[in-house]
Amino acid sequence: MSLKYGVLGLLKAEPLHGYEVKNRFESMLGGTWEVNIGQIYTTLQRLERDGLVRPLGPRGDRGKLQYELSAEGRKALDEWLAQPDSGPQQLHEEIYVKLLLATRIANGDLPGLLARQKRAYLQRLRDLNRLEERARRDGRIDLARLVRGALLHTEADLKWMDELSSEHFGAAEGARME
Amino acid sequence: MSELVRLTDVTKVYQGGITGALNGVSVSVEKGEFTAIMGPSGSGKSTMLNLVAGLDRPTSGSVSVGGTDLGKLGEAGLARFRRDHIGFVFQFFYLLPNLTALENVLIPAQLKGSPGTERARDLLDQLGIKDVGDRYPARLSGGQQQRVAIARALINNPTLLLADEPTGALDTHSGEHVMELLGQLHRDGQTILLVTHDAKLATRNAARVLSVMDGKIVDDARLESPERAPSEVIRVRGEEASR
Repeated sequence: MSLKYGVLGLLKAEPLHGYEVKNRFESMLGGTWEVNIGQIYTTLQRLERDGLVRPLGPRGDRGKLQYELSAEGRKALDEWLAQPDSGPQQLHEEIYVKLLLATRIANGDLPGLLARQKRAYLQRLRDLNRLEERARRDGRIDLARLVRGALLHTEADLKWMDELSSEHFGAAEGARME
Repeated sequence: MSELVRLTDVTKVYQGGITGALNGVSVSVEKGEFTAIMGPSGSGKSTMLNLVAGLDRPTSGSVSVGGTDLGKLGEAGLARFRRDHIGFVFQFFYLLPNLTALENVLIPAQLKGSPGTERARDLLDQLGIKDVGDRYPARLSGGQQQRVAIARALINNPTLLLADEPTGALDTHSGEHVMELLGQLHRDGQTILLVTHDAKLATRNAARVLSVMDGKIVDDARLESPERAPSEVIRVRGEEASR
């Protein structure tokens, strides 16, 4: 969905052809989202079908065909920007499923799982810090903000690991005392 | 690199409670390392720092810094060790309110009997606060006070800089600035041990993170700093267009 509106947003500034859309989209995302040109063409065709963009000039080599935003496209974009993301929280990473399984399976080695995952999060924090530094150095404040969001998310993941570790440790202590 | 700090089977027991106790900690720190110590409150991380600083003595086990076994030093020897080898930065700065910023920075130099005024001015300059040398702490912001405290910690060229939650009382921006300064000191060769709750800030500079829980080191993570492409670090994902 965000690719569709990303394309609309880029076309709001000026008419572009497929390759320009791809390049600008990827540079806007600072290399955090790579799209192939086929996806861009498909997206542009669907947007044209739905009347949100229209081609400029005669239909020749599709690589050279420019698209501009229609009035409906403008409206759809504004509505999308005005809407909050209110869908369910997306948890894409495998750790969530691993955690559930490790809790269920005997010898699931939950403490080991948590310790290893914690290290991975620490390393990610370090990598994100370097990425944020680079974005600021390059004058990409928008990208630095995106990385900042990722840093705070990873910090929360790390806190979650700590909470689970001390919960597990506490339970083990309790069992020993009884 | 050579070893600077070594804790061997260190135990610290406090009367009347287990908070902050240590239970058989062994670890060593190399010269030039920036190490972060992380863990929940009461886990013993500040106790570790205090033992390395010679502010406290272990119940059993040994602590040595730069080859000196701190357990072999008497009270006067320990005070000399702290003055000559340790710089300590605290969460709440602990500047003396009736002395100016510059006078605060000069205290450790005066205890050592060296003048240090020139170095103090250089440090204030290096830390970006050369204009506030004549002000009293009450007239400084939190970030400025912490920078004065860092200058005070550095005045005698300490072998080891210890910092206990140095950003804990600061707003985000000042905290980042203070951490940036610590990073700069480390790049200039300073060995630093940092206790903090803030993993975001810690991993900016520390390539090693010790996790302490219930008086034990439960993890010793060494982080890498390769050049990574943005997509190896973050992937922004939208739902694929399918309609």
